[in-house]
Amino acid sequence: MRAYGAGWRIMGLVCILAAGVAGCGGNRKNQEPIAAEEGGMGSYQEVLECSFGRRTLANPKFPDGDTYEDNAYTRYVLEKLNVRVIDDFEANGEDYDRQVSLAIASGELPDALFIGSKDILDELVENDLVEDLTQAYEDYASEYMKEVYDSYDGRCLDTATYNGRLMAIPGTNLDSAPCVAYVRQDWLEKAGLIVDEDGDHCLTIEELERIGRTFLEKDPGGSGNPVGMAFVPYLTADDYGGSGYTMNAVTSAFGAYPKLWIRDEDGNVVYGSTTPQMKASLGKLAEWFEEGVLDPQFGTRTWDDITALLTNNQLGIAFGPWHIPDWLLNNVKGMNPEAEFAAFTVCDGEGRVNVAHSNAGNGYMVVRKGYSNPEVIVKMLNLFFDDLVNHSGLEQEAPEIAAYMSLGVDNSARPFQVEVNAYTSLLDDYADIKGCMNGEITMEEVRTAESKSIVESIRRYLKGPKAEVSDWSRYTSRMGGIELIESLTKKGQFRWETPVFRGTTKTMKKSGASLGKMEEETFVGIVTGSVPLDRFDGFVADWKAQGGEKITAEIEEALAAEGGNGR
Amino acid sequence: MIRKKGVMANLGTGLIYGIVVLLGLVCLLPMLNILAISFSGSDAAAANIVGFVPVKFTTAAYEKIVEDRQFWRSFGISVFRVVAGLAVNLVLIVLMAYPLSKSKREFCGRGVYMGLLIFAMLFSGGMIPTYLVVKNLHLLNTVWALVLPGAVPIFSVIMVMNFFMGVPKSLEEAAVIDGATPMQVLAKVYIPCSKPVIATIALFSIVGNWNDFFGGLVYMTKVHNYPLQTYIQTLSVKLEDMLNSGGSLSSLIHAMEVSSQNLNAAKIVVSVIPLLLIYPLLQRYLITGIVVGSVKE
Repeated sequence: MRAYGAGWRIMGLVCILAAGVAGCGGNRKNQEPIAAEEGGMGSYQEVLECSFGRRTLANPKFPDGDTYEDNAYTRYVLEKLNVRVIDDFEANGEDYDRQVSLAIASGELPDALFIGSKDILDELVENDLVEDLTQAYEDYASEYMKEVYDSYDGRCLDTATYNGRLMAIPGTNLDSAPCVAYVRQDWLEKAGLIVDEDGDHCLTIEELERIGRTFLEKDPGGSGNPVGMAFVPYLTADDYGGSGYTMNAVTSAFGAYPKLWIRDEDGNVVYGSTTPQMKASLGKLAEWFEEGVLDPQFGTRTWDDITALLTNNQLGIAFGPWHIPDWLLNNVKGMNPEAEFAAFTVCDGEGRVNVAHSNAGNGYMVVRKGYSNPEVIVKMLNLFFDDLVNHSGLEQEAPEIAAYMSLGVDNSARPFQVEVNAYTSLLDDYADIKGCMNGEITMEEVRTAESKSIVESIRRYLKGPKAEVSDWSRYTSRMGGIELIESLTKKGQFRWETPVFRGTTKTMKKSGASLGKMEEETFVGIVTGSVPLDRFDGFVADWKAQGGEKITAEIEEALAAEGGNGR
Repeated sequence: MIRKKGVMANLGTGLIYGIVVLLGLVCLLPMLNILAISFSGSDAAAANIVGFVPVKFTTAAYEKIVEDRQFWRSFGISVFRVVAGLAVNLVLIVLMAYPLSKSKREFCGRGVYMGLLIFAMLFSGGMIPTYLVVKNLHLLNTVWALVLPGAVPIFSVIMVMNFFMGVPKSLEEAAVIDGATPMQVLAKVYIPCSKPVIATIALFSIVGNWNDFFGGLVYMTKVHNYPLQTYIQTLSVKLEDMLNSGGSLSSLIHAMEVSSQNLNAAKIVVSVIPLLLIYPLLQRYLITGIVVGSVKE
């Protein structure tokens, strides 16, 4: 049913897209710029109409009568900047991407819009469809916003910079490494297993294996059908944020960086999935599979199946980013009130955790070429991520927005649809939370409303009886997950790798999909033993021959053209 | 011989009953499963352990639906669409089918009109021209964009036309002798005789309008104008895909809440209730089937 529906949708929208190309080309009429008061949040003298493409979410929890086009945020924009937000189109997920393609093809881009992928941004820039924002950013971005972007050492703005010109306002993306192994603490105690004797929450690969084996043998969950460790068939993720149920914790231990383009010791660009370290990681998994520590149904077990294993007390180790207790493991706690998870990560033989920086850019806001007032997008950036964030009297001056925050209205309600946070904000916020829990600072000194609400949750959880699962989730992800990140950062146990290239080259467009498929099939084959481990070298040769070599050369070329280290 | 035949017949009947029951179960069991999931805890639903009996019974999902503004807004749009669509469809279908049911002698252009209908049925305008027409008529983002493109379902016209042809001529002649105008003949003779077929096409129209999600996706560029089925299909978010495409924590938590299986199941249950209510009302006519004429020819 789903496949059928999707098929029709795609077909239909492609048709419309074709119609757009054929029928209704031509640009919007460009009007004269409207003058505004000075400053990064200067109000326009007349109402400036600005049309948007809006990416939406199902049920954003608007109060009665509010819509994407007319809500507390858009009214705030009108009040403060005298800008009226008009939606050219609104759509969810994939449908949004197609609407954007349609708008590009028909030459009818909205005045400003959210762009999700770097590839589409590349296309827009190549075809000269978006306005250069370099000057607008320079003139209008507030000092605070510039500090926020600078906290990424330029890694974030670089993702939207072409030949030295800033073509979009990028959203930021914090590093979400490492891939955390959440282990059932209650099972460890029940099985009498002692791991991590030094208490640094770093497991060696042997300890991880021991946990899996013990859980398999002793079945502390009492399910009668235990599984040691389970992974999704695609095995690896190119970002630690996406590492749910993947083997990225294991590759960390071997120093492999699957699916990422890095430089090896000699300074050559290599693809992380083709390195000897990757081979070693797969070899370990193959051993586990043969012994049975790794799920015998690996390869057919899907994401939802693994969630079910955890919830049914069959599986006691869950891999993923630090925040999985908030939206995944809460199901486990809901079904099994006795469940407790401890956060670990896996380190290499020298006690280091090998991780890579995330792509610092996450989504982009662009302005259509020829729009009268391109600086409006920078003003909105100031409004949403400086003014509103650093506002002390929000309840009095913008009660509507304060109400939105307490109601949990989704951030997609903002016309400025990317998130911009300082690089250190995760640990900064955590420092507040921890400090407040330890009594070092008072509740009033906690900087953000969200942190305050988290402190309250954690207190509720620690007091006991009245706590809800969501309180437990917040406690576990913060005092477990982020605590782990903080301690690793403080002790300098992370070894950071910076991927050199995140874009898409010509050959990648052509053969990327088949190379990816070959990679996945070979890896699953190696782990399940249907392909011998030594076939890995053959895979690397095939991979190079079928386009990998060419892609590597293209990347070297692109990096040389940029003349830097190509972040 | 006779006994053997009897056994075979019984066996055949049994087999048929068996198959029919099996088919019935195939249709019924998924619905029961959805119903059970909608009353289960979200964690139990995620654990995939709900069969036909709710696990950790709760009505939390339904409470959430009551709070979901967009759901009810979309529900209202869908109801309006069904009512408006049904009215437009019935009026146009009947008005078109009646003259077409007359013979060539009484309606000399009949062949031309039939030809046009059949042609339009076989070769529809297609998605692109239809979209452009709707767009240029400024119907985008109005409920009429969902009603008007499907105002004349030709298949239904032909069904009604055929049924009208089967109504005994003598009835009409009697009415004409009594001084009835053609409109009166239609309203007082043909329509009362044709309840079964009208019930059938009404059902087609209602079910079709209620279940269509694609029109909403194409013609509505704003989410608050989505009809119910279009809204529901946007709710099935795969957490896994979202995580891999760099979803933030807040959006993941949000997605988990809206896409939790028990909530979606509850939405499906609520969305089929209107159809479940309408079916028994019309089924009577569907089974009656054949017109019982007052005069035999």
